Amino acid sequence: MKVQKRFNNLNSFIKYGFLMVILGTLLGCEGVPSHDPDRNYKSIEKALLSKLMLAKDSTVIQLEEGHFIFKSSLILDNKKHFTLRGRGMDKTVLSFKIQENGAEGLKITNSENIILEDFTIEDAVGDNIKITDTKGITIRRIKSAWTGEISKKNGAYALYPVICENVLIEACEVLGASDAGIYVGQSKNVIIRNNKVYWNVAGIESENSENVSIYNNQAYNNTGGILVFDLPGLTRYGRKIKVYDNEVYDNNLFNFAPPGNIVGAVPSGTGIMVLATREVEIYNNKLKNNNTIEVAAVSYALIDAMSDQKSQENKDPGSSAQIFEEGLNKDLEYDPYPGAIYIHDNTYGEVSWLPNLSNDFGKLFLWKFGFDRPQIIWDGMVPENYLLSNGSLNPDYKICIQEVGVKTAILDAANDFEGLVTDPESFNCEI
Amino acid sequence: MVNACKPKNEAPNIVFEEEVLNRVDNGHLGHKNLSDYGFFTGFLVDLVPAKNVHPYELNTPLFSDYAQKKRFIYLPEGSIIEYHPTEVFDFPVGTVLIKNFYYDDAQLINQKGRIIETRLLIKKAREWQALPYIWNSEQTDAILEITGGAQEISLLGKKLIHYQIPNMGQCKGCHQRNGTLQPIGPTARQLNRNHLDDGGKSINQLRRLSRLGLLSVSEKEAFPKFSVWNDPKTGSLDERARAYLEMNCAHCHRKEGPAKNSGLYLMSTSNSRHALGIMKAPVAAGSGSGQLAYDIVPGQPEASILLHRMNSTEPAVMMPELGRKMIHKEGVALIRSWIASLE
Repeated sequence: MKVQKRFNNLNSFIKYGFLMVILGTLLGCEGVPSHDPDRNYKSIEKALLSKLMLAKDSTVIQLEEGHFIFKSSLILDNKKHFTLRGRGMDKTVLSFKIQENGAEGLKITNSENIILEDFTIEDAVGDNIKITDTKGITIRRIKSAWTGEISKKNGAYALYPVICENVLIEACEVLGASDAGIYVGQSKNVIIRNNKVYWNVAGIESENSENVSIYNNQAYNNTGGILVFDLPGLTRYGRKIKVYDNEVYDNNLFNFAPPGNIVGAVPSGTGIMVLATREVEIYNNKLKNNNTIEVAAVSYALIDAMSDQKSQENKDPGSSAQIFEEGLNKDLEYDPYPGAIYIHDNTYGEVSWLPNLSNDFGKLFLWKFGFDRPQIIWDGMVPENYLLSNGSLNPDYKICIQEVGVKTAILDAANDFEGLVTDPESFNCEI
Repeated sequence: MVNACKPKNEAPNIVFEEEVLNRVDNGHLGHKNLSDYGFFTGFLVDLVPAKNVHPYELNTPLFSDYAQKKRFIYLPEGSIIEYHPTEVFDFPVGTVLIKNFYYDDAQLINQKGRIIETRLLIKKAREWQALPYIWNSEQTDAILEITGGAQEISLLGKKLIHYQIPNMGQCKGCHQRNGTLQPIGPTARQLNRNHLDDGGKSINQLRRLSRLGLLSVSEKEAFPKFSVWNDPKTGSLDERARAYLEMNCAHCHRKEGPAKNSGLYLMSTSNSRHALGIMKAPVAAGSGSGQLAYDIVPGQPEASILLHRMNSTEPAVMMPELGRKMIHKEGVALIRSWIASLE
């Protein structure tokens, strides 16, 4: 079977990686970023909780300056036209440092037209702000963080709208998430702009979302800067994503995601990564010093295999191929390959001579390209219908690149990189 | 990987001085005292049902820190319950589901048994309203406390816990379907069991309701039935495990529930192996994954995220997220055997 064969090859790729000397993964204490603001906490838990629960529609709750600490999640359910406003980032602080109940800091559900603005939220055990089943959510000038040294014990998502429509996240500052800083999942009509995102595993992630514009953000010092992912078995698929006018640089932080999570497979040193998503346009971004790869387009098969390898080192639950096929069989609509991707008019900094060797990609690039590695790669894994019956390329899976002075490559990951091509002509198209 | 470097978590400096709470009028929500409803006759603490109040039990209940529960339903005079074979029944406006959480003398160390809290679900014209009442230390009444509360409970053979009484917002965290508040327990398969009636005679709960003219179907209806999770005579390991998962997890983990974003659906009627978590990678588990790759690995309970999260009391890891401070050892054992039996 084709997929089975691919995986055998992929596994040899991964095994090869483990044979290499591991460099650069051991960071001393000085190398670990730490966020240590001064705090003097006060409790207003019952008062605020009551206000939130009893708020009528069209309420504005104004929080005063101060550092407020909570033992339980703050829950807002079934509200319309509601605003929660502080006196500014780091002036009004909602802290969940002593959280005992619930996993989220602020949890908003089943609501319409909610505005959160001008406060800091930090140290929830799970996600700092999670919003589900809500139409119209604005998150503006919010700082969402975990204090202390970054750690896999930090919560997963700093700002997390999921199954929402009409989402605006702007002018926020987001740091310390052990999964994704700004993470929009299974949502529709999303704008993520003017944010500063650093010290997260994934800076910004759009997952299974549609009509998403990610622009004017600064994503730096994350493991991966901006991710556009599509995963199987969820409530909707992603498409129509634009990533433009962002500054994506120095995303070389070690990957501190708890193993078992898909972002755990994102190599340190990734600028922008597109996973199994179609209709993605990436343009006018400034990419610099992401020292594994500036832009990558990969299939779910590749990332799933890498993720599996990472978390199952001592366990053998069956071959990756079986699992992959089992997952896909249950979601026949899901397409694990990226396509209709157009990468153009971005600017790239100098490529460092040595790639990031903390991950298999970095090692592979050193092995295959020496000190002159590509800025843009595609794993080259394709579906059966990649070529149409007349021999032409299926436009659904087209990957087009129009860049100046940039090295590109198709890795041919499915075949032990035997068919690896540098600067392939097939990328020379427009969408 | 970094925590050995320097002490990260000194105890935070907190001033526990509650802001003066401008007491919001809760009058529109419900009565201030449980006694005001008149659900019970005699001493409130004895929970002797008044007219139109009927006791009931479930085959496989939700685990709540080993608390025992006495459940009642109040039905307005002359109204009937609309039967449904798989979902929660459709209850008439004015219905109140009354759930009392208590520990008996034998469970507690150095404390007399007591009722901790009473949760009401009240059927309003449009949706259900959830109200938490906390019992006073004299056990004479319970008082509406929408922000919930915590009580120290010391159970025999267990660690001291801060038993958590949920706030009104948390109630809906579980009691939710398609965004509206809903009861979870009273389905045909949960209620299909015998119960002692007033005369001490054992009678099937559904037949009794039907006979009293309170249920929309005849007592001859072929009622579906859940296994009792810890009684092997009532069902196979698979049936009991699936009943347990439905009651403890599927209020969120179903297509219409708040955890639908996870793609993990644990209703006993769910028949997709992948949606059940078998070889399914987590979606947004964060540190809850416990470094494991799949929700359920057949034959390998210890490699399964589902078991790992049941077997934890850390807020970021534990499932369900709310409603317990202890691990349900017997429940974990059941699911462990079930996963071990899967192929």
